[in-house]
Amino acid sequence: MRRAFSRRRKPWFAIAVTVAFFGMLYLPIVVVALFSLNSQKSLTVFKGFSLRWYRAFFADHDLIGSLGFSLRISAVAMIGSIVLGVALALGIVRSRGKLGSAAGLVLLIPLITPEIVTGVASAMLFKGVGLPLSSGTVMLAEVTFSISYVTVILRSRVAALNPEVEEAAMDLGCSRFQAVRLVTLPALLPAILASAILIFAMVFDDFVLAYFTTGVTPQPLPVRIYSAIRFGVQPTINAVGTLMLIGSIALIGLALLVPRLFGRRESLSQLL
Amino acid sequence: MLTREPEVRQDRPTKRRRTRLWSALTLPGTVWMSVFFLSALLLTVALSFGTTDDLGNPHFGSTLANWAQLGEPAYAKVIFRSFVYAGLASVICLLIAYPVAYVIALHGGRYKHALIAAIVVPFFANYLVRMYGWSTVLADDGPVLRAARALGAPPSLTILNTGFGVVAGLVYGFVVFMILPLYAAMERMDVSLIEAGRDLYGGPLRTFLFVTVPSTRQGALAGLVLVFLPATGDFVSAQLLGGPNQIMIGNLIQQKFFDGQNWPLGCALTVLLMALLVVGLSGYLRRSRRDEQEAVR
Repeated sequence: MRRAFSRRRKPWFAIAVTVAFFGMLYLPIVVVALFSLNSQKSLTVFKGFSLRWYRAFFADHDLIGSLGFSLRISAVAMIGSIVLGVALALGIVRSRGKLGSAAGLVLLIPLITPEIVTGVASAMLFKGVGLPLSSGTVMLAEVTFSISYVTVILRSRVAALNPEVEEAAMDLGCSRFQAVRLVTLPALLPAILASAILIFAMVFDDFVLAYFTTGVTPQPLPVRIYSAIRFGVQPTINAVGTLMLIGSIALIGLALLVPRLFGRRESLSQLL
Repeated sequence: MLTREPEVRQDRPTKRRRTRLWSALTLPGTVWMSVFFLSALLLTVALSFGTTDDLGNPHFGSTLANWAQLGEPAYAKVIFRSFVYAGLASVICLLIAYPVAYVIALHGGRYKHALIAAIVVPFFANYLVRMYGWSTVLADDGPVLRAARALGAPPSLTILNTGFGVVAGLVYGFVVFMILPLYAAMERMDVSLIEAGRDLYGGPLRTFLFVTVPSTRQGALAGLVLVFLPATGDFVSAQLLGGPNQIMIGNLIQQKFFDGQNWPLGCALTVLLMALLVVGLSGYLRRSRRDEQEAVR
């Protein structure tokens, strides 16, 4: 049916728009990557290949410090949000109580709130309780922001599990805790790993929330990039940007691949 | 493998204790979100009625001065501009996303998933780097304008530092939020409806307008909300592509927090964005509920 339909007539106009769309989608990324390899400082004329901007990046202690800081933030946010998020997903799906459904609704709010609102609100909270903005406050804010993602991704996975398998494990002598640890968590492992990788990538790339909640030093890498492109363009930023692009794309690819490694075909939409 | 049966088992003696375990698991995350998210939002609302002392420190209060200030021409202009730009960006996203989602969903064949992945992956690339790349592409000596001039556009044509530049940035930043729900709607659509439209001698355009668009309205509506909300609050696009004369609400908020040190006013602007979110979402939910009821009838 569907095949017969597509053979009937090609929508040439729509196909042209789609091709143009993909071209424009990738052009900026290609330009950044290409000019990161430029041997000259120019951002418009390509003079020849060179790795000098990559060398400049690795020689810049400030930028490398920011990179390390961003990696630390991402790791903390990943671990914190996975621990709290997995527990929440299990609790919300299984408890069926008022608390669970209320928590389920509240968790959707951060996903649709403009990031700047979350950023301002977090900054207000920290200043309100007298916590000076520092590396700790960024991490707290990023964990908060990530919990929603983890829970939303894992909820559908938990809902697809059969609770009677756990009960069978308990009938066979497991304690409740053991049943969760030995039966439920392994079944959720692919989804947990995939969402952990996604959270790591998202937090590493996050700019707005980090910008509002970080202290003066050290600064997360995206915040550093922001101040760099705000005060005039340096080709070093092209090199950093390219490395970050490669990193995020590799992580997203990995996140999509993990469920398949466990022999499961999960569609992209389920993961996102 | 581990799929759940639809019926719920009530007869287990362990049920009560099990429920308590699950509630206990819900607790830490709920407390965390209440402390770090909900109370933060409430604090922001409260502070929007606050005042600033001579040192720039915020204090709680019950004044409407910050809100009144938003009505002053200097602020009202920026707020109005943000809505116009975000609205334009949403409409342009819709115009781009319809053909793209249509082609991928109905003519993508076995490359469907790969093509959607190809749209989603760049979205995960760093937002700043993407916007910065976009600004070099749209620059006066960038590829887009050079191509336009080669095709006969006037040499004075420029995109950066204009309102169009900001809108172009918003479109580039958020178009994926339009394509995904539209794609999902097209996947769900009954293709035989299009066939029927053609059989009844509707041209491609008429069939699209009277068959495809109405049956994917839900997805389009979701996309409009998902693009409009973050676009209204964005400040990177206006900064990198619009310059100082095209600032939006997000830039004002940023100024109030970092340069101006007027947090209560910044909070009022932030609450304005939150109110927009509530209005947009409730409108969307009411609309989609009505659609569902009509579908049932």
